[in-house]
Amino acid sequence: MTEKNAAAFLPLHANWFHILLSLAGAEQHGYGIMQEVLERTNGTVRLWPATLYGSLKRLIADGLIAESDERPVTELDDARRRYYKLTRLGRAVLGLECERMQEMVRMVQRKRRQEAW
Amino acid sequence: MNPRVSLCLSLYRRLASAYPHEFRILYGEDLERLGEDAVPEAWRRYGVSGLVRLLADIALRLPGEYFTEIRQDVVYALRVLAKAPGFTAVAVLSLGVGIGMCCAVLSECRAIVGPAPGLRDPSTLATFIWSQVSYPYFERYKDARQTVASAAAVMGPVPFAVAFTGDQSARTERVSGHLVSPEYFTTLGVTPAAGRVFGPETEKPGMAPVVVVSDRFWRTHLGADPHAVGRSLRLNGSMATIVGIGPKDFLGIWPQSPEDLFVPVTCGVSLAPELSGDPLHRSDREIFRVVFRLAHGVTLPAAEAALDAMTRNLDQETGARYARDPKGRVVRLMPAGTVGYATPEQHKLVDTFNVVLWALVLSLVCANLAGLLLAGGSQRRREIAIRLSVGASRVRLVRQFLTESVLLSFVGGLAGIVLAYWITHVLSSLPLPSQIPLEFNCQLDFQVLAITLAIALAAGIGFGLAPALSSTRTDIGVTLKEGAQAPLRGYRRFGLRNLFVVGQMAASLMLLLVTWLVALTFLSTARMDTGVDVANLNLVSLDPVRDGYSAERAAALFRNLPDELARVDGVRDVALTGSALPSHGDATHVSVPAGDGKVGQALNSVYRERIGANYFATLGVPLVGGREFDLRDRDQDLPAIVSQTAARTLFGAGDPIGRRIREGELTYTVVGVARDMRAGLLRSDPVATVFLPLTAEWLGKNRAQRVTLLVRGTAGRDTMAAVRDRMASLHPGLTVFDVHTMQEDLDRMNSLAQWESAMYVILGFFALLLASIGLGGVTAYAVVRRRKEIGIRMALGARARQVQGLVLREGTALVAVGSALGVSGAYVLARIFAAYSDVLARSFGRRDNNPLLLVGAPLVLAGLAMLACYLPARRATKIDPVSALREE
Repeated sequence: MTEKNAAAFLPLHANWFHILLSLAGAEQHGYGIMQEVLERTNGTVRLWPATLYGSLKRLIADGLIAESDERPVTELDDARRRYYKLTRLGRAVLGLECERMQEMVRMVQRKRRQEAW
Repeated sequence: MNPRVSLCLSLYRRLASAYPHEFRILYGEDLERLGEDAVPEAWRRYGVSGLVRLLADIALRLPGEYFTEIRQDVVYALRVLAKAPGFTAVAVLSLGVGIGMCCAVLSECRAIVGPAPGLRDPSTLATFIWSQVSYPYFERYKDARQTVASAAAVMGPVPFAVAFTGDQSARTERVSGHLVSPEYFTTLGVTPAAGRVFGPETEKPGMAPVVVVSDRFWRTHLGADPHAVGRSLRLNGSMATIVGIGPKDFLGIWPQSPEDLFVPVTCGVSLAPELSGDPLHRSDREIFRVVFRLAHGVTLPAAEAALDAMTRNLDQETGARYARDPKGRVVRLMPAGTVGYATPEQHKLVDTFNVVLWALVLSLVCANLAGLLLAGGSQRRREIAIRLSVGASRVRLVRQFLTESVLLSFVGGLAGIVLAYWITHVLSSLPLPSQIPLEFNCQLDFQVLAITLAIALAAGIGFGLAPALSSTRTDIGVTLKEGAQAPLRGYRRFGLRNLFVVGQMAASLMLLLVTWLVALTFLSTARMDTGVDVANLNLVSLDPVRDGYSAERAAALFRNLPDELARVDGVRDVALTGSALPSHGDATHVSVPAGDGKVGQALNSVYRERIGANYFATLGVPLVGGREFDLRDRDQDLPAIVSQTAARTLFGAGDPIGRRIREGELTYTVVGVARDMRAGLLRSDPVATVFLPLTAEWLGKNRAQRVTLLVRGTAGRDTMAAVRDRMASLHPGLTVFDVHTMQEDLDRMNSLAQWESAMYVILGFFALLLASIGLGGVTAYAVVRRRKEIGIRMALGARARQVQGLVLREGTALVAVGSALGVSGAYVLARIFAAYSDVLARSFGRRDNNPLLLVGAPLVLAGLAMLACYLPARRATKIDPVSALREE
């Protein structure tokens, strides 16, 4: 059932993919997600604040992420920030999207080998 | 901090605080905090372009967030409306019917006085109110350059016997046209589709006759011949060259009497016998109507004052003396260039009447909507309280309610537009009365539609907002504890809902009474009680003068034709007459010569009719006294028959037979007295009439340009075929036209009033529908709201009958008050309208049809209202009291 629902989100919007990927390892707050995406992409993808929160709102509404109740250790915690985590559905969607992208890369590689670009 | 960064940050904060309330509750703080981190970083990394991109991002996402919320509101509103299908259906139906009806009725009325097709700037055209002037007068008016930019004289409708070849013996066809002054087309601003129009330079006496034909004539009679200009037509026996073809749709200045041929008045007597007696130079031949194109900036009243002063001067010069109207005017102006002609007073009356009806309908719609929305709003107090308690903002809730009511008004408005289009479409396709071959193009008036829609929307918003504002101000805790229903209050005599029921009942009743009174008036006046025996009575028209008969031949024809036809098998009675029934279109002045016994009496406005021998016998209307015209009259004085009213006025109680009257230059001897006949539509008082003998000389001058042959046949036989055969064999050159029965003639006259009254019957029907929708909705809702109370009463042992009785008693009180207010309101409205118009005064004053309506309409409405109370009350008493109580 979850699988079927997850497939309905593919192909995933680039911003959504980056957000889900950021949350795959650990729970994050908005600024953390922004920073991680920026670093991971070497500054090429920047999620501006309104875009980021717009996307977070949609991801929550669609059940791909959820607000987390757990807080990090006190000295790292900022009481004003909200933390987000992946839901099971979100994880499934991310997994399917990764597979899809890998398949595409494989496809391109096959093609390259056959036709010797 | 860098000033650019701080400026950017303050702009960022402002934009963030403009985000929708719910978004801010969830992410507002995070967004702001992220901004504080992101702005300096963006400046460091990307400089100004980074700040611009950051601001653009937050600004561009703002409308999207609002759109998302509005979409949610709409989806929620749709769900709410779908969950209460009864409420939604009643509201939409009520709005739709109301808006549709309002627009259709007002648009229809505007269409009648709308601009006539084919004219340039019809709003600056004017004409004298049904009065005709002589040509010399017209020529003086034409020169009043300060008042009129140009003017045209028109005589018509004038019939022409048209043949398409020069052959004298060719069959002719009768086609109607206008005799016009050369300025006709230029004054109306009509440009020809081909050829030229008339002008003062080209149209001069003694020149070869010319004619301009209508586009319709060109298509139907000339086969749309591209070389038609330059062709010749034989008109009344004389050849005339077609010099121009009128533009499409143009059928003369009076589209209700469309014309196909336009001949200049300079054409000569041989082509137009109407011009005999030199009317172009005689100021006593008042046979022309004048159409003025008012000078720039001159208003209708100003032009009227100027032309009136001018007419008085002309009257003084010529020594003429004319009756003045109550305002002291000799001439009065009304707008020309419209489909239907109406005096400014008639315009005002019709406008006021319709606007009042429109306002009534609209107030009904608004009352319906208000009642429903207020009732609906108060029932949703609990829902509002729950949403407030879980963090919804007041603004958001109000917006939610607003969305619902706007959605409701919008759907209702759409239904209204569809209905209005449908009604106007049906009206346009209705056959026009009097078989006028004019397309009645009734279109939706967008101004009316816009105003109606705006008011309905405003009502929807206003009445949707009121409960939202009051409910969101309540104490959440108390409301939640209370349950969905308000606390069990006693019966509130002056509660808002009760006032609505009363108001609605009153407004519906007023609307119903006023519209149906008008409808009944039109119907009752339309049912012309002529007293004529219509069985097997046929009418045939002839025009020997235009068929080329000399005066002597025509006189002989008039003398002999009745006898010739009386011998046809099956014919029981035959008579010649000017018009089948008294037309009351030809007023004159009659006096009793001073030497004739007593002091001479005078009748200033008496209608003159022309009839032949045996007229009354053929109609089946016996004379009150004396005899009809007959062969004896040739050897004696000219005979006359007077109507009862004329006899009373002229001769008092004395016997009029044998007395003498003077009309014009001739003296007549009264030989008979006729029963008063109805003067026409919308006139119920008898008018003085004199019947004078039909002569060939009169026919030459007569505006109707025909004589009518009345033939009473025998049932079951085609008498008319035999009559036509006999006429064709005896008088081969005589054109017989317009053959129909007397019944058809009467139907044609009645159709106008029936058509008018149909409008108001439809309006009344919709008013009833609207009233029942509203009353039913509001009362049913009021009862449903008392389910809990009913449940408690039932649980405590009340019987169903007792509870139903309680509901019905309260309903009866409200309905009674509403009915009383409605009837008195209708009475006041009727008085006001009666003061405006004597036609309406007569209709509202009529006693014969009022009682049924005055009692019937409130009864019907009250019955509906009681039914609307009873049905839900019965349903409420059928449910299990426990479940009603547990429903909370």
